[in-house]
Amino acid sequence: MSELHVLCKVNDTEYVLPASDVLQMESFAGATKVPGAAAQVAGLVQIRGRVVPVVDLRVVFGLAPVPPTLDSRVVVMKASERVVGLLVDSAREVLKIPADDFHPPPAVLVQQTDGLVKAVAQVGNRLLMLIDFIKVIGEEHHDGDE
Amino acid sequence: MSDGFEASEFITGFIAEAEEHLTLANANLLSLDQAAAKGQPTPRQVRELFRSLHTIKGLAAMVGVEPIVDIAHAMETVLREADRAAGQLPAGSLELLLRGTRAIGQRVTALAKRKTVATAPAALIEALNALRQSGSSRPEAAVGTTLPDELWTRLGSAEREQLVQGLTAGRRGVVATFIPAPERANAGVNITSVRERMAAVAEIVKVVPQSIPASDSAPGGLAFALILLTDATDPVIAEASSSDVSALRPIALQAATAAVASGQEGEDGDGEPTDSDDDSNPRQQGVVRVEVARLDDALEKLSALVVTQFRLTRALAALRAAGTDTRALALVVADNGRQLRDLRSSIMRARMVPVAEVLERVPLLLRGLSRATGKQARLELRTGKTELDKAVAERIFPAVVHLIRNAVDHALESPAERRAAGKPEMGLITVVAVERSDNQLELTISDDGRGVDAAAVARRAGVPVPATDDGLLELLTRPGLSTKSEVTTTSGRGVGMDVVKRIAVDELRGALAMTTIRGQGTTFVLRVPLSITIVDAFSFVSGGETFVVPVAMVEEIQELDPSRTVRGPDRRRVVRATPDRRQVARGTDMIERRGEAVPLLRLDEIFGLAGDAVAGRKVIIVRRNGEPFAFAVDRMLGQQEVVVRPLEDRLVRVDGISGTTDLGDGKPTLVLDLVALGGKLSAGPGPGRERARA
Repeated sequence: MSELHVLCKVNDTEYVLPASDVLQMESFAGATKVPGAAAQVAGLVQIRGRVVPVVDLRVVFGLAPVPPTLDSRVVVMKASERVVGLLVDSAREVLKIPADDFHPPPAVLVQQTDGLVKAVAQVGNRLLMLIDFIKVIGEEHHDGDE
Repeated sequence: MSDGFEASEFITGFIAEAEEHLTLANANLLSLDQAAAKGQPTPRQVRELFRSLHTIKGLAAMVGVEPIVDIAHAMETVLREADRAAGQLPAGSLELLLRGTRAIGQRVTALAKRKTVATAPAALIEALNALRQSGSSRPEAAVGTTLPDELWTRLGSAEREQLVQGLTAGRRGVVATFIPAPERANAGVNITSVRERMAAVAEIVKVVPQSIPASDSAPGGLAFALILLTDATDPVIAEASSSDVSALRPIALQAATAAVASGQEGEDGDGEPTDSDDDSNPRQQGVVRVEVARLDDALEKLSALVVTQFRLTRALAALRAAGTDTRALALVVADNGRQLRDLRSSIMRARMVPVAEVLERVPLLLRGLSRATGKQARLELRTGKTELDKAVAERIFPAVVHLIRNAVDHALESPAERRAAGKPEMGLITVVAVERSDNQLELTISDDGRGVDAAAVARRAGVPVPATDDGLLELLTRPGLSTKSEVTTTSGRGVGMDVVKRIAVDELRGALAMTTIRGQGTTFVLRVPLSITIVDAFSFVSGGETFVVPVAMVEEIQELDPSRTVRGPDRRRVVRATPDRRQVARGTDMIERRGEAVPLLRLDEIFGLAGDAVAGRKVIIVRRNGEPFAFAVDRMLGQQEVVVRPLEDRLVRVDGISGTTDLGDGKPTLVLDLVALGGKLSAGPGPGRERARA
């Protein structure tokens, strides 16, 4: 895995995503709602001709959705055959974080985030949480809309 | 001429046929050009080109399009003479023939668009006619005949010239054989009498005595070969030579350099060149041209059948519920369902066209481009046997044209530059089509030109130089950027890249990728689905959102008439609205329709959208298993053909939504399956999804 990570913010908390899984980052001005889809699905966006489902990380983390701003970004990620966008409040930085700098998250955090945080890295005085993308979008065989 | 023409179906047929023959003509022109460049003779191409134009002329005359008749006639005359000169075209004729073909093409297009057809360009006709006069001075030396060597060598030079000139003038050449025999001599038939009789129906070039193995029919072991020029028919000649028609051998013109033996020259009253290579176009055999609209019509009829199948299934279920033994019937119904699916795939297959056919105009395009730019380019075209849907083919071709045009216009350097760069003067453009396992066609278009100047592109776009080819492609495909001429001329890439992207990615739901190396060339990879689902659909608004629904699914659209709406008693809570939205009430309202009570469902409520009091002015009625449902929506927007892309990710796989489409605003629009939605609602909020439909 590359050491490059995309840093994004959700509700002023900083998260990182492995850059090797990121296809692109796009600004966000709203999505086509999919009635009946799970609550965290913000909808569908068309990015470079591809229709991509967007998962709102705010909702994933139990926060209320907010209207899109100029800073809102969709981080389009791929996992095997699936391509899903993650909606974040902002995503600007790309950081180099050596694999050794990541540590398992504290048990409490695992408990409270349902395992969505895979690891934690301390960079300077910042604490960055590595998001488990697969957990966020759910396993493919796992039947949805709960 | 086309104005006020009544028989429009003839015009449609004419356009289809004319286009087919124009395609053939273009292919032959190209092949002519290539052969001519190598100094090869081109009798076959000339003959086929002649046939195409002859057919176009005939068809155009039938539908009364004089300008096309005139152009085709002038071209045909040049070709007829070339054919008689063993396929030797006068200098400069290729250019004129290309122009002529183009001129016909333009007029066919005008006709197709119901525009006025321009008169034949006088300058072109004149130039073509002038060709004929100058063409008669072609060198004789290059021409020979198909006469067997043992006979040809027996001819003196004057006799050879006599034969060639006769053939060139359009007379038929025939070798007849007379075998003397005692009983024939007794009947007064000998070579002298045959000569006399023959002189009355043919010009005798030479009579060559030949020794043949002695047999019952040729007891003397001697035969006379009569080399003839004639306008008479074979039976007449056979009679005059006291032999059978099958014993006659035709003589045709042939370029002296060509070692190939030409075939038969058949019976042809109007002097039209005849088939010598029947196998030259095998795919023409057993082929019927069908308008795509007819296949669509067949598909539509098929969907009606599928609906009937649903009704059958439902009736069957009712029988079973009543205690009847339906096992035998169920088997028949299941068979029927399978056959319907097979039929559907057959119809879909009928829509497929070979990629090779789609790309067959590419060599011609390249030829025109090299001529226009003065750059030399070689084409490598590898298409294999892949087939793709006609609708995809029609959409993808313009993208391919764009890419090739860019490659020649901007990517390939001038011959001098290439020489300086140590490259061969002739550029190379490669077009490869490969079918991928995921039902996608991969089209690779590469050049060995200068590569894209990322810095120039970035400067133009006012952004930092992209680090990757993907980033560069993204810049190149930005609308607006591509039209700047500076980029076009300095970046080696440009015009219409946004169009290519729009076609490949947005319209066809495919992908576009690029790799480029400075000084070495650029490769574009287009990936498009082999077939797409194109559906005629209604678009409408409900709860402020736009949706589409396939027309085939809709039984009726009507105004919502409040006076005929009945509010049902049960207003239970909806359980399945999206959790982050308010839980909305759903009533069991009904509308009365032709004596039938139809449940009225408000789509905005079902979908948890922001409905308002005035919403629900239109009603879309669908039927599921014979049971009608009415969906109230805000307003109808229109009807159009849309490309449906299924929603694959499980996050967005929802009953009642069959996919998305792009209505042109760059945003996905949901394609609704109102029939499934109705089914889901009538099944209630029970567990599980709707049972898989047959």
